[in-house]
Amino acid sequence: MKIARSLFTGGLLAYTGLFFAFIYIPLAVIAVYSFNANPVNMMTWTGFTTEWYAQVLGFKTKVSESALYIESTGQLLQAVWNSLVIAASTTAIATVFGTAIAIALYRFEFVGQRFYRVVMFMPMLMPDIVLGIALLIFFVNSGIRLGLTTIIIGQCTFLISYVFIVVSARLAGMDRTLEHASADLGANEWMTFRRVVLPQLFPAIVGGALLAFIISMDDLVITYFIAGVDVTTLPMFIFSMLRRGIKPEINAIAVMMLSFSFVVASLGLYLRSRQK
Amino acid sequence: MTIASRRRFQLALLLGPVSAFLAVFFLGPLAIMVVTSFLAPGLYGGVEWTFYPHNFGRILGFADPMFEEYDPIYIAIFLRSVEIAALTVLATLLVCYPAAFCIARLSERSKNFCLFLITLPFFTSLIVRLFVWVLILRQTGLVNEVLLSSGLTERPLDLIYTKGAIILGMTYVFIPFMFMPVYASVEKLDWTLVRASLDLGAGPIRTFWRIILPLTAPGIAGGAVIVFIPALGNFVVPAVLGGAKVMMFGNLIEQQFLAARNWPFGAALAMMVMSVMLIMMVAHVVLSGRRSAAAAALAR
Amino acid sequence: MQNSIVRLVEASKAFTTPEGGIVTALDRIDLNVRRNEFLTLLGPSGCGKTTLLQAISGFVELDGGSILIDGEDMTDRPPYRRPVNTVFQNYALFPHMTVGENVAYSLEVAGVAKPERREKVAAALKMVGLEGMEARRPRQLSGGQQQRVALARAIIARPKLLLLDEPLSALDKNLRQAMQIELKTLQNELGISFIFVTHDQQEALTMSDRVAVLSGGRIQQLDTPRAIYDHPVNTFVATFIGASNLFEGRLDGDRLMTADGMAIRHQPCDRRILTQATALIRPEQFFLAEDNAPFPTIDIDLDQIVFVGSTFELFGRTAEGRKVVAEVPANRRSLIGTVEQTRKARLAYDPAAVHLIGTTTGAA
Repeated sequence: MKIARSLFTGGLLAYTGLFFAFIYIPLAVIAVYSFNANPVNMMTWTGFTTEWYAQVLGFKTKVSESALYIESTGQLLQAVWNSLVIAASTTAIATVFGTAIAIALYRFEFVGQRFYRVVMFMPMLMPDIVLGIALLIFFVNSGIRLGLTTIIIGQCTFLISYVFIVVSARLAGMDRTLEHASADLGANEWMTFRRVVLPQLFPAIVGGALLAFIISMDDLVITYFIAGVDVTTLPMFIFSMLRRGIKPEINAIAVMMLSFSFVVASLGLYLRSRQK
Repeated sequence: MTIASRRRFQLALLLGPVSAFLAVFFLGPLAIMVVTSFLAPGLYGGVEWTFYPHNFGRILGFADPMFEEYDPIYIAIFLRSVEIAALTVLATLLVCYPAAFCIARLSERSKNFCLFLITLPFFTSLIVRLFVWVLILRQTGLVNEVLLSSGLTERPLDLIYTKGAIILGMTYVFIPFMFMPVYASVEKLDWTLVRASLDLGAGPIRTFWRIILPLTAPGIAGGAVIVFIPALGNFVVPAVLGGAKVMMFGNLIEQQFLAARNWPFGAALAMMVMSVMLIMMVAHVVLSGRRSAAAAALAR
Repeated sequence: MQNSIVRLVEASKAFTTPEGGIVTALDRIDLNVRRNEFLTLLGPSGCGKTTLLQAISGFVELDGGSILIDGEDMTDRPPYRRPVNTVFQNYALFPHMTVGENVAYSLEVAGVAKPERREKVAAALKMVGLEGMEARRPRQLSGGQQQRVALARAIIARPKLLLLDEPLSALDKNLRQAMQIELKTLQNELGISFIFVTHDQQEALTMSDRVAVLSGGRIQQLDTPRAIYDHPVNTFVATFIGASNLFEGRLDGDRLMTADGMAIRHQPCDRRILTQATALIRPEQFFLAEDNAPFPTIDIDLDQIVFVGSTFELFGRTAEGRKVVAEVPANRRSLIGTVEQTRKARLAYDPAAVHLIGTTTGAA
């Protein structure tokens, strides 16, 4: 019995080890191979190089001398810039709107609360493609030119939900009597909000904003439909590169993106764990 | 101003702008999509404003007799998508369920760290995570390199652009979606009940089927819903890992919008996905409602 | 009304339950709280005592009626403009502020200058026995200390009235008893009225100048602890406070005849002309009858004898099958001995100690 039990526990542990290996080994693999010098067959190791990173960052390298590559680096930087502009704008808008809805739903009583809740959960459950085409039909019919503006508006429609969920989880967990205590001690509503609610809510708002930022940076499907012909974002750029054929510098871009989101996400999750 | 009217003013300030935004840019577009799915396609893209149920007919078997033919391929692609999504649910469950038990029993610190490691990929770029699998699976990819150089095979295997590749990619991408709800119900599991079952003479397997599985079923159901729905409508994974060979419903919709430019038909296809989603949601609510009703009856 | 600090006139409040039912939390309540009084609101959960407290502090808006504090109408005033402070059940200390910041909060909000604030915080903390704890965080303190911080925070601005919402329920028994005495002392020192909410009748009896027993959104009885214990106005109050033996029946001269034929002697009371009444005999009013004692008696068959230290509790039933509980001093061991052997007891009582309750509830 004892042996069977420890075998079982050991098996479970080994399984969980494999589970994490499944998640992380592929990521480790491209991290390693992004330094592979082989320009033709990326998975055959021929030597160490940082050339692809230099290439992506726009430094002059042997490869970039050949005319073929120059153009795509410019496009890449433009795509990164677009993604950052979009993510910054959507994060600002979605954070304000999402927090407003969360406060309204958790600190006020009004008819239609259930409706708002359903609307907030819809984007989470709807396949992205449905919202993408719905927005495309809408924008084209209403004569709004597809581009940065439509991407920002379109992303906001679902990023509001993400901010809402993070902030409302915090609001639901907050002790209402603290606000009562504040009012009881003579603080008016604004004072109570500023001194008691906001300090407790702040980590969640930052967390929600970070989440919105990352998801905006990462969004492909919805952006893909409403971007129009002139604007390319980073995920779209990679997607089209993948469709055209894989070049070694995608590896470097991928690793840099991974590192970036690892840092931002770690920061966000750390902030969230600290508020408990 | 009275307290009540001031509260109303504050509420209006909070909700007004965001309500207008969502009404125009979220609910509006969805409504227009529904309308569009019942309109006739224009000759050069665009729509004609006449009621035209044959968009659905093309999919379900009553095509417009004048211009189009019913083609069972759409239903076939739809069913294939359902199959792939269902297999993805199964695969994520098999991957996550045992791991959830292991992690739930760790110390508080290691538990939190494990949860961090599992959620982290969710925050990294989807397209990058799929790209990794392209590098691993393609003809000149890692797996084939290893197999060829070790002499296990002589010709590279067809790993990418298969149904299996799509399921693998989706499983990889959707792991956090399945893990979180499953883990939540596993962690809540009261182990004294398991001990009670063993004490009452049920063996480990019986205890699993009669106690552990039913008690963690809500988490499994929740995970299944939130994996199945995005998997069904997904077009990125099949586009990257299925290529032109294995098409899913999402690719079909994309084609209608960006290549064929038959928007009403594309909208009708999207409506199919939406209706599956609604059916699943209602089923989930009804079933879990029944479950909680049963629980309430037991508690009495 | 010079002597009144809080006055409620026909205060009413009803809630709608999630199932769609309506619960009357306050049913046209009239209440006067005197200056410098320790008043306790006592009742089972759901009786409306917390609603009443929140109506005074302003967190519950009344459906009807009015509230006056120190002669001023407060009915439509938000909580932050009422001269009352509350000690909350779970203390409600702000976790992101230090003890000092917590205590200073009401002064800060009122715009009191920093040096004065510091001085007053030190004094308030001293008053509750927490000198020098300003820089600590609430979560570094024990439950009892958090309780004191909450108290200091609520009294620092010298409210006209202090409300305490079951503040001692989270403390263990010894600490609770110590705090009961401290609260009473503090109230005397401050010279302000306390309204204390509890469901613990023992706590209510020990601390209060007056006790209001609430049930079903109404004040059943408002009186001194002794009067409430000795002369409950109805059976609810009688059973809610202390153990009781109740005999319902028809009055006949100096006897009360129950339907099953028991006769309970009492002192005829000429203030009221009742035909139906309930006789109340507290368990400690019984004593074990010796032969030829000049007192009426009730014979019981014993079910159980429980030794509780200073007394024995006897549980038994009469020939008619009524359950009776009696509490007899533990110093009469010889008598107890016989009772234990025979499993029978003859309980005597003084007719003067029998309290009659009129059958119409609520009328005194």
